[in-house]
Amino acid sequence: MTDIERASPPSRKRILVVDDSSLVRLYYRDTLEKAGFEVEQAINGIEAMEKVLVQPFDLAIVDVNMPRMDGISFLRTLRSSPGDVATLPALVITTEAGEQDVAAARAAGANFYLVKPLSQQDLLRHAAALSGAPP
Amino acid sequence: MAGSETHGARAVRVTPEEVRRLCEFLYRRTGMLFNDNKRYYIDRRLIERIAATRSASFQAYFAILRSDVDHEIEHLINAFTVNETYFNREEHQLRCMTSVLLGHVIRRKPPGGAIRIWSVPCSTGEEPYSIAIWLMENWSHVDSYNIEIVGSDIDTRALKAAADGVYGERALMRLSRDVIHRYFRPVADGEYQIDPGLRDSIQFTRANLIDAQDMARYRDFDIVFCRNVLIYFDDASRRIAAENLYDCLGPGGYICLGHSETMSRISPLFRVCRFPDAIVYQRPEADHDGH
Amino acid sequence: MPFVKRDVIAPSKDGRPPDDNLASHVAALSSPDSETRWSAARALGGRADAVPALAAALAAEPVARVREAIMTALMRVGDEASVMALLPYLRSQDAALRGASIEALQALPEAILPFMTSLLADSDSDVRLLATELARNMSAADATRILCRLLEHERHPNVCAAAIDVLAEVGTREAVPALQSCAERFAGTPFLPFAASTAIARISDTER
Repeated sequence: MTDIERASPPSRKRILVVDDSSLVRLYYRDTLEKAGFEVEQAINGIEAMEKVLVQPFDLAIVDVNMPRMDGISFLRTLRSSPGDVATLPALVITTEAGEQDVAAARAAGANFYLVKPLSQQDLLRHAAALSGAPP
Repeated sequence: MAGSETHGARAVRVTPEEVRRLCEFLYRRTGMLFNDNKRYYIDRRLIERIAATRSASFQAYFAILRSDVDHEIEHLINAFTVNETYFNREEHQLRCMTSVLLGHVIRRKPPGGAIRIWSVPCSTGEEPYSIAIWLMENWSHVDSYNIEIVGSDIDTRALKAAADGVYGERALMRLSRDVIHRYFRPVADGEYQIDPGLRDSIQFTRANLIDAQDMARYRDFDIVFCRNVLIYFDDASRRIAAENLYDCLGPGGYICLGHSETMSRISPLFRVCRFPDAIVYQRPEADHDGH
Repeated sequence: MPFVKRDVIAPSKDGRPPDDNLASHVAALSSPDSETRWSAARALGGRADAVPALAAALAAEPVARVREAIMTALMRVGDEASVMALLPYLRSQDAALRGASIEALQALPEAILPFMTSLLADSDSDVRLLATELARNMSAADATRILCRLLEHERHPNVCAAAIDVLAEVGTREAVPALQSCAERFAGTPFLPFAASTAIARISDTER
């Protein structure tokens, strides 16, 4: 895909937040936007695929449990897509009981995983590191 | 805060938090996003719908909306979208069809093979006729294949109007004078009729997307235009319609939804395809074990 | 005109009338061909007498879209037996299966209601977490009652978070005390105080 338009000046990192919960998305968005990130949202893996195929992002933060396309399935679809989008860094968020989820996330090509709930500091630290933003 | 009067009844006011709840619900349900800067627009429509449903409060209205009583979700969305049907509505999808989709479709076909395109719901026919005209005007291979265009709707009056093929100037506003000359003839003041040759080329049928037996008559379609209907179905009907449409497509066939619709709110059966002019969905060529 | 008009109303290719035979569709559920299994599942949609066969097929089905069709078929029955056929997948190790079962069950708010008490008392926190989502399509009164009862005793932050998310959409003002006490219980922890206060703002700033 070579015809994706750049929607923002290169200096601001763009993060896609993918979670079924509106409150989680709001929490991440508020935290990340205050720190200078541009944030878009999606409620499941299908919407996330639509968004990453249309706009450039520097990081996707993806919950595992979502309807219609869960986080692991999204990751597999992402990593097997043609073009740059396949290498989009992905931070997978699991619940603590999800040992199998962690293994599956790794196998599916997650760059990192964290267990929810996330503190704002953890979110910012990992968002910065994985999106390539200055610390 | 916005407010209204309904036949002397107490004015219903809507708070910013209530609008936020509404917008969250709409986003979850339809994928339509109303950011803070578009909220003013929602206020007015919400008040209209509260009045139209004779709701005594936002809470009462929200209960109606959540359970979609009398198709309230559709009424609310119609309150802030333009509903007109006209020729070449969403031209970018037509462009995608001729610039990309058909190229993929013909790779699977023998020379002179059949290409099947379905417009459902077709309403009063603007969409299937637009497809036909667009193909003749824009597709270099239009004479090399047997192209079948089917237009279907649940409303038999709309189908009758489609078969008659008479339209006013407003419906033709996106068409050039040349195109109108080539495919229409004036029949009355401000009214034009599609040429009989073209009218006779489109198959118009009655079809119900949720009725599997009905839908069993439609198979091996290469491209389906199914716009602005699935998103209004309830949970169960959306799944059933999506499974029916899957069966109506051939492997690798494409389905185009309405401008503000997304498969993320409808079904996991289809692959997301991004092309320069449009996002389109595809029935996979084959199953993958487990995934 | 390069267009061809074919009679769509013509009978299907092999000319067979629609087959209503339960036994033959059930047999087809174990076909080695996924397309046959898909069609069988679709043909059995809404048939209460097919629930045991559909449940058995679901347990063995490797292809995602066939699983989807089997779950749709069960959802269309929507009775207690079909709910019980779907419930085990809330415990699946596969996130896709968990999500798919939630989606099917979410469309059955009346049928799932009698199961909510035990689901929300399950020893597995992930099951409790997923079950809160099932309250989303219930009436405001039912959802509020059920989720507030959960919040009174729930100690797992992610389960509380999930319940709070549903309450933020569906909850009545009756939910405010439970949300407040939840916020106090989890004061100083990440996310929950924010979630509770956001939910409180959403549902209390509303007229009676």
